[in-house]
Amino acid sequence: MQVQQTAPLSRGRVSNLPIIRLIDGVNEVVGRIVSNVAIVFAGIIIYDVFMRYFLGEPTRWAFDLTKQLYGFYFIMLGGYALRHQAHVRVDLVTERLGHTARRWTEVAGYVIFFFPFAWVFARRSWDFAITSYNQGEVTYGAVQLPVYPLKMAMFVAAVLLLIQGVSEILKLVLDKADHLEPMEPLDVR
Amino acid sequence: MSGESIALIMSGLLLLGLFMGHPLAFVLGGTAVLGAVIAGKPMVLGIVINRIFGDVLDNYVLIAIPLFVLMARFLSDSGVTDRMFEALRHLMASVTGGLGLAVVFISILLAATTGIIGASITVMGMMALRPMLQYGYDRKLATGLIAASGCLGILIPPSIMLILMASYAPGLSVGQLFAGAMLPGVVLGVMYAVYVAFIAWLKPEWAPPVADEEQISRGAMWRMLIVEAVPPLILILGILGSLLAGVATATEASAIGAVLALLIVIMRGRFEWSTFYSALLETGRTSAMILFIVVGATAFTGVFNITGGLRASQDLIRGLADDPYTLVAVMLLVVFILGMFLDWTGIVLLSFPIFLPLVAEMGIDPLWFVVLMAVVLQTSFLSPPFGYALFYMRAISPPEVTTTDIIRGVIPFIALIIVMCVMIIVFPALVTWLPTALYGG
Amino acid sequence: DTWTMTTTWPSSLELIEIDRHWVELANDLVDDDKLTIEFYDGGSLVPAGEVFGAVESGTIQAGADWPGYWAGRDSAFSPLSTTASLFNAVDYVNWIQEWGGADLYNEVYGKFGMVYLPYGVTNNESGFRTVDKPIETIDDLKGLRLRLSGLEQGKLLEKLGGNQVSMAGGEIYQSLERGVIDGAEFSTPNVDFSGGFQQVTKYWSTPGWHQSSSVFGVMINKAAWDALDEETQSRLKTAADATMLWSLAFTEKRATEAFGKFKEAGTEITRLDDDTLAQIQTMANETIEEVACENPLSAKVYASQIGYLQDYAQWRDASAPFNLGRTPDGPDLAKIQECAQ
Ligand code: NA
Ligand code: NA
Repeated sequence: MQVQQTAPLSRGRVSNLPIIRLIDGVNEVVGRIVSNVAIVFAGIIIYDVFMRYFLGEPTRWAFDLTKQLYGFYFIMLGGYALRHQAHVRVDLVTERLGHTARRWTEVAGYVIFFFPFAWVFARRSWDFAITSYNQGEVTYGAVQLPVYPLKMAMFVAAVLLLIQGVSEILKLVLDKADHLEPMEPLDVR
Repeated sequence: MSGESIALIMSGLLLLGLFMGHPLAFVLGGTAVLGAVIAGKPMVLGIVINRIFGDVLDNYVLIAIPLFVLMARFLSDSGVTDRMFEALRHLMASVTGGLGLAVVFISILLAATTGIIGASITVMGMMALRPMLQYGYDRKLATGLIAASGCLGILIPPSIMLILMASYAPGLSVGQLFAGAMLPGVVLGVMYAVYVAFIAWLKPEWAPPVADEEQISRGAMWRMLIVEAVPPLILILGILGSLLAGVATATEASAIGAVLALLIVIMRGRFEWSTFYSALLETGRTSAMILFIVVGATAFTGVFNITGGLRASQDLIRGLADDPYTLVAVMLLVVFILGMFLDWTGIVLLSFPIFLPLVAEMGIDPLWFVVLMAVVLQTSFLSPPFGYALFYMRAISPPEVTTTDIIRGVIPFIALIIVMCVMIIVFPALVTWLPTALYGG
Repeated sequence: DTWTMTTTWPSSLELIEIDRHWVELANDLVDDDKLTIEFYDGGSLVPAGEVFGAVESGTIQAGADWPGYWAGRDSAFSPLSTTASLFNAVDYVNWIQEWGGADLYNEVYGKFGMVYLPYGVTNNESGFRTVDKPIETIDDLKGLRLRLSGLEQGKLLEKLGGNQVSMAGGEIYQSLERGVIDGAEFSTPNVDFSGGFQQVTKYWSTPGWHQSSSVFGVMINKAAWDALDEETQSRLKTAADATMLWSLAFTEKRATEAFGKFKEAGTEITRLDDDTLAQIQTMANETIEEVACENPLSAKVYASQIGYLQDYAQWRDASAPFNLGRTPDGPDLAKIQECAQ
């Protein structure tokens, strides 16, 4: 069973395929920027609580905006989490396989499960986002916040996830994946 | 294609993916897509996107998940929780079984700051396991205790599991679930402590007193305890208090908790930009990990539902049980067995859509049922073969501790969890008393 | 053929009974080889807010709703679902069936590739329930944080000095109890009672001026509708008409029972006086004129509704006191007609 890996930030992956470097780099940058959004929505919530309890003037926009920022935050980090192999998996069976067998089992996992899902996710969220954009959809109520930017972000996030899958499967096929090696015991938090 | 066949096919795919070691989130999502195609209804895949957006992105309750993770990260990454344990260790180590009791108490405290099992177990394992083994604690007792106590974090609020459960259970709020799980969580912790004390009395050689190698004075020790343990304690009481007393919603409490935790870190002089930034990155990855399982599960459940798999599963359970107690027993057994293979995230997300309508049908109190589920899910970390806590323990244990030691060590605690479940069934007030007192009927 | 249908209502909300009633009638009236409707409780297929998108995209064939939920996509959905201090339930029935309303539902939903069968009306909503302070005049509304849904409703409340707080139905109870909001409107008395609001609010201010009555119905994907033969289509419409009449009597009976239960539970019920209601009417008219003039389609719907009110007023007023409801002193028809161009 794999434990979430802590950030091996200093230990970057060495790979000579430019496409892998490019994809990993894109998701790394997105991850490092988007991770900060947690502070933004925490701040907005606190501001709203303060305005409500101490000044008696709740904001009209905090509820919808924090919800949108939170959605943006986690969905955009899917590819980044995959790049760091942070998604929970059960590998008690596969860890008993030899290196090559394990590698190809992982490749099969991507082909059977990951890509069908990631493709449907990306393809359908494009339709979903573009419908919302064409309708100029806004939130329902007196505060009319546009909804389509979040739906667009969902599509972008799906694409980031999809391309990270391409990078991960290339690493497996080219035998450059480093998460197959046993981790340091104390790498667990 | 019949609901029964599609239920069978999708369950089979799910198992296949899990055993292939593919990430749970994508096994769920991929099974949804394959299930829809195999059922000959690829057009239903549209609901996958509707559900991901409406159930996961556009969900106010789930905002609390990244923020509670962040709060826990701030506290543990900056060493505040380590120091808390050190203080308590000095206080209690010198009596028979004392170190064991310190592990339980500090775990209850940690449980109230974090919901992250890995964090609790690792902190305790690194701080407590070596001294315990060094001074002759029984290997099974030491590892079992640390693993089981570390799991209290998902039961004692604030708990990410309870937040997710509330988001899946219509009509139950996070506050109600927190209040409902509070007493069972603390009682379970106390039962662990009583068990340790009992073992220490029965077999003192299994839990000997530990000489304090640092020889600090009683005054210094109390000062240390106050300085290290009190601020996090205030944080815990502040968050839970404001939540239960009705000053703030769970989402607001999580934001306040994260900021207060950061303030504690700053006040303790342990703030560093690098730690701060890595806590943010770590939180991003953990949150994405949890919430993408929700994404995969909502896709799975949507397809499972529309293709008739859900109705078939419910009919199967209905056929097995026609009175409320048998129904609950069957469902708990299913959860216990699932717990041997999956962790709580997958179990909650897959079983709630099937179970909760049946629970409502039978007129069972949903709050009581959900908390009972939460207690049983403690075993999902401890039961072999796939128990996260077992794996965490193995990862941090020295080589002389065998996997068998750890597995045998957790068995008495699994038994205590089952005893706790029976107590909740016999005395439902354990769950319902606090929410009723706080929120009325 | 088989349709998959869901609704915006979870099984715990009594509004779902209207949807179930229509589905049962429809399945009884239509031969099984022509059409079977498989109905799923709200939330089990898609979350409430996504029912529209699921029907629009054809993922499912039918979805029951309250049109106002879709006002974020087109503000014209708002008057199709309710009005602030204008229509009562009978007005909606009249307007839909004989004054051209049904066509307007199909025009607005038609923009999104859907056909609409309105099949439920409920009359006046409860009004605001407050925790510790009764609302008896407009002054009492000033500064209050009130849970309220709807675009016109929110703007009207702001004109009256209150603050609109948007939150899902499931969050209202806790928010009232914790003082996150000072009060809330939710639905009709029976639905409110099942939500337990008598436990957390002491006061109830009638009437429900923000939502004088409501319409419910089913969105049907255009392609699925066109695939039906004419006879099946007409049977579905018959089921809708029958359900609409039943829903009026059913919900009024249930509201009456619940009103008694609220009194028994010790809720203090106050009524806004006629002067206050007249002032609210003036501001509601202003709000409607403003909102309608931001969207020609919305103006078209409002113009048709106000046109109906004026037309019907002649006979309605003459038949007093044996008439159905009142003729409101509504918004300026000419002004709204201009915005509908
Ligand atoms: Na916890
Ligand atoms: Na397990």
